[in-house]
Amino acid sequence: MSFFGFGQSAEVSIVLDGQENRRTAEIKTEDGKREKYFLYFDGETVSGNVNIALKKKGSKLEHQGIKIEFIGQIELYYDRGNHHEFTSLVKELVRPGELTHDVSLNFEFSQVEKPYESYTGANVRLRYFLRVTIVKRLSDVVKEQDIVVHTLSQYPELNSSIKMEVGIEDCLHIEFEYNKSKYHLKDVIVGKIYFLLVRIKIKHMELQVIKRETTGTGIFALEGPNTFNENETIAKYEIMDGAPVRGESIPIRLFLSGYELTPTMKDINKKFSVRYYLNLVLVDEEERRYFKQQEITIFRRADKVRKNYQAALSHHNPSLLSDGGGTGKSQYQNSDEDTPKEKDGEAVNNDQR
Amino acid sequence: MPNTPQLSPQEEQEKLLEEALNVVKTQAFQMKRCLDKGRLMDGLKHASTMLGELRTSLLSPKSYYECYMAISDELRHLEMYLVDEFQKGRKVADLYELVQYAGNIVPRLYLLITVGTVYIKSNELSRKDILKDLVEMCRGVQHPLRGLFLRNYLLQCTKNVLPDAVEDQSTESSGGESGTVMDSVDFIQLNFAEMNKLWVRMQHQGHSRDRERRENERRELRILVGTNLVRLSQLECIDIDKFKQSVLPGVLEQVVNCKDAIAQEYLMECVIQVFPDDFHLQSLSSFLRACAELHPNVNVKNIIIALIDRLASFAQSEEGSGIPSDIQLFDIFSQQISQVIQNRPDMPPEDIVSLQVALINLALKCYPDKVDYVDKVLETTEDIFNRLNLDHVEHGSPVSKELMRLMKIPVDTYNNILTVLELQHFGPLFEYFDYKGRQLMSCHIINNALENETMIPAQENVDAILNIVNCMVQDQNDQPDEPDDPEDFAEEQGLMGRFIHLLQSEDPNQQFLILNTGRKHFGAGGDKRIKFTLPPIVFAAYRLAIRYKQLSEEDENWEKKCQKIFQFCHQTIGALIKAEQAEIPLRLFLQGSLVAGQIGFENSETVAYEFLSQAFSIYEDEISDSKAQLAAITLIIGTLEQMSCFGEENQQPLFTQCALAASKLLKKPDQCRGVSVSSHLFWSGFSQATQGEFHDGKRVSDCLKKGVKIANQCMDSSVQVQLFVEVLNHYIFFFEKGCEQISVQVLNQIISKIRELLPNLESNEETEQINKHFKNTLEHLQLKLDNAESAEQYAGLVL
Repeated sequence: MSFFGFGQSAEVSIVLDGQENRRTAEIKTEDGKREKYFLYFDGETVSGNVNIALKKKGSKLEHQGIKIEFIGQIELYYDRGNHHEFTSLVKELVRPGELTHDVSLNFEFSQVEKPYESYTGANVRLRYFLRVTIVKRLSDVVKEQDIVVHTLSQYPELNSSIKMEVGIEDCLHIEFEYNKSKYHLKDVIVGKIYFLLVRIKIKHMELQVIKRETTGTGIFALEGPNTFNENETIAKYEIMDGAPVRGESIPIRLFLSGYELTPTMKDINKKFSVRYYLNLVLVDEEERRYFKQQEITIFRRADKVRKNYQAALSHHNPSLLSDGGGTGKSQYQNSDEDTPKEKDGEAVNNDQR
Repeated sequence: MPNTPQLSPQEEQEKLLEEALNVVKTQAFQMKRCLDKGRLMDGLKHASTMLGELRTSLLSPKSYYECYMAISDELRHLEMYLVDEFQKGRKVADLYELVQYAGNIVPRLYLLITVGTVYIKSNELSRKDILKDLVEMCRGVQHPLRGLFLRNYLLQCTKNVLPDAVEDQSTESSGGESGTVMDSVDFIQLNFAEMNKLWVRMQHQGHSRDRERRENERRELRILVGTNLVRLSQLECIDIDKFKQSVLPGVLEQVVNCKDAIAQEYLMECVIQVFPDDFHLQSLSSFLRACAELHPNVNVKNIIIALIDRLASFAQSEEGSGIPSDIQLFDIFSQQISQVIQNRPDMPPEDIVSLQVALINLALKCYPDKVDYVDKVLETTEDIFNRLNLDHVEHGSPVSKELMRLMKIPVDTYNNILTVLELQHFGPLFEYFDYKGRQLMSCHIINNALENETMIPAQENVDAILNIVNCMVQDQNDQPDEPDDPEDFAEEQGLMGRFIHLLQSEDPNQQFLILNTGRKHFGAGGDKRIKFTLPPIVFAAYRLAIRYKQLSEEDENWEKKCQKIFQFCHQTIGALIKAEQAEIPLRLFLQGSLVAGQIGFENSETVAYEFLSQAFSIYEDEISDSKAQLAAITLIIGTLEQMSCFGEENQQPLFTQCALAASKLLKKPDQCRGVSVSSHLFWSGFSQATQGEFHDGKRVSDCLKKGVKIANQCMDSSVQVQLFVEVLNHYIFFFEKGCEQISVQVLNQIISKIRELLPNLESNEETEQINKHFKNTLEHLQLKLDNAESAEQYAGLVL
């Protein structure tokens, strides 16, 4: 870290407590590489030792103090200069003075609050790291060590299915159901599409998982000048081939664990959000696309031993579609806005129109 | 500009298929290489790429099938590899999830099925659940062609792993094969229902102008759907109860509800073919009820007929120890068929009749003794015709053909007209045919009787039959104006004539009644028919008279009865005369005279005389053609010569009359021949006085002299010579018999006369014949001369 001729006068390393037993997790760097870091959870104590090794035996290292910080920050790529630290804890390790030999200094941030999950996105990064600084007159010796934080959620108590009847008048009416509205990262989406009316020649149907990353200060405005939306199709999964007829019901089963997902993040420190949508797309023979998006919540669940595979098989629970009345129902582009309850408007969108 | 050749649709297909197969080959090769090296993931990737070829919409069903076959071959490698792997302890569940990440549904499901099969074989999880999962997931392919093949692949793969046990064999501890046969039934039925839906849906896709092509394509694919039923039938644990309660109702419901004629026709046929006979027997009603609900375009009769044929042959086969007595096979079919007919007001009458044909076949094959079943079918048919107001079944129409088939069955099966007569409704139904139809059927019936030599032993039978075949017996109101081809007519009436000889009873009195009845019927046949039908009656009557004679010891009234018979014959022959027949009555009278003479009952001489004199009257009044006259007089002479019953006072006038008639013939040659023939009366005729032949040489000689004289008067030299040769033969005959009035000189005279005349004849074929006749005659004489025994008698003969 030295730009001058002195060279680094000391080697600083951070050794975390229980490192050999601690789990690691991968996270992408900005340039897409994957790196492994030690994994921490919210409230967990971060402790360890800072080892400072002097380069030359017998030399002295004069300093203005040595400190270690625990920092959680959000970096917006378009605003490189400004890192928004939402957490910043400092421990003074050594008072200003001289180091004459290698030292190992222990530190502890006990029960640190880590409210957000580490994240690397298209326009934003949220990271946690430890930073050791040996304060010097000219240039500090700085050593940073990233960690990964996962936020765990309890299995949601309320996890209703998503059920909806949508359609284009006299053209297409479908009822779809996803078994839950909240899925954990290794979950399986099980569902069903029921065709109530089919007057178009459908060629195929797919289910997409779309990740929408919203960044910017205008996050609360519908359209802000500094709001960036980045949509990424994480999964594109054909669930039907050919044209169904009225009364047909098509099963959905999509394993999530194979895709790179993060938990849903809403309004993280007023800086960004990551949301997930299931997009049901029907394509007709003229390549017109009809689609309907539904937001789902993705959460991270504490890893259990192994998911119950058998449960995944029972995808075709007949009760899933037993009641279509619980959710709103309206028509596509029905001129009078008579469905004020649902801002979204329960219609299939046709992006050709 | 480069000329790009336009490919024909067929070439286009070939090209597409070739391309697809190349991809399959390459990818399969890569897949196997990866598997060999243990790189399962890469292997699966290649498998998936290979399967991508099945996503195409460009191939025709036929080409798609070939592509599918190639791929499913390759997938077998994958399956075998996986089975191996998992025997080594790899967990299948991971893989079952893994293959589901494939983005495209068609490759994904093929892989899922392949892995699923391995999963089942590994016994890791309840096979019932896996099967259910597979069959449900396949719903994702709604494209008919691709869906059908996918599901066919499912059937193919699971073929050997379907649970087939009454109770679940698995145990908590040791695993074992789980699931019961009912799980398999559910699985197959769901798959069947889905496949059938896809198959039916094909019909409604695309342009209506392609309908025919589409229907052909559908027919090509039907076997895929039918395989489900084959699988069902292969489950060994399905017994009759399960079949009745679970299997058949499910299948039938699907078939009925799909409302598609092609599917219904094929699938019903399939059901009949794949399941065993005893199952069908136990579930007839539900099957037939379903038949009644099929689409109007379905040719339901073919289905029912197929079932009937199958059960009928089952009833006759060795293993089918008959139809269980608790199953009223006939009643069930009869009821259900009438239901089917009722449900289908538009059903063409010919189809209705062909259903009855099947029913009658069933009755005859399964219940050969129950004539009333057959009769019931006829009755039903009659009722239906009534209801349809169908009182004139036109010949050549389909319904006529079917009705003919229907009516011929009892005839041809019983091979006994009398049994047919027991059918109360046979006759009434017969009346629905038009003239031509009745005629053909009548001929068929009569022919059948003739072939089987069925004797008709009672008057009522005769009455009944002749009423049925009435159109052969009498003129009909509806017969066409122009008469039949005379040859055909003669042939038809010839049959009738032969048939009359089958009207035979053991009891002569009954026989008499029979003949009377026959006479009554045939007598009304009109002039053209009676000449064919009455003569056999008369002959049969003569035969009966002879029988009475034989029975004279048992029946004291036999003479009166004979008298009556001859009266009957006289009258019958009279009818022929009225019909302006001459030659036949003449002959019948002569025959009657002969018979009466032979029998010799009281009054027989009078009868014989009367008959002969009647023959004479006919000769005199009715026969005008000279040739016919000669033939007639020759016959009369021949008859008279044979008879021995006449006393002198009757015989002499007759003899004289004959000779006289002969000499009165118009043409000289005829006179000559007649006179010559009449000479025989005086030689071999019966003499009451001597109780032997007359041997009246003088009158013989007189006759022959007269013959020579008449021959001399002939102008045509060729005829003249011929007559001389003939007369010579007569002379020789009597000479040999020892007639004293004829000497060698007489013979020499005639021979020299002939020799004199013969060379003058023009040489032609006729002359040659005469020459030959003469030569033969001389040769005969030469032999006599050469023979030591006769040489003396012939001494002096100049040849």
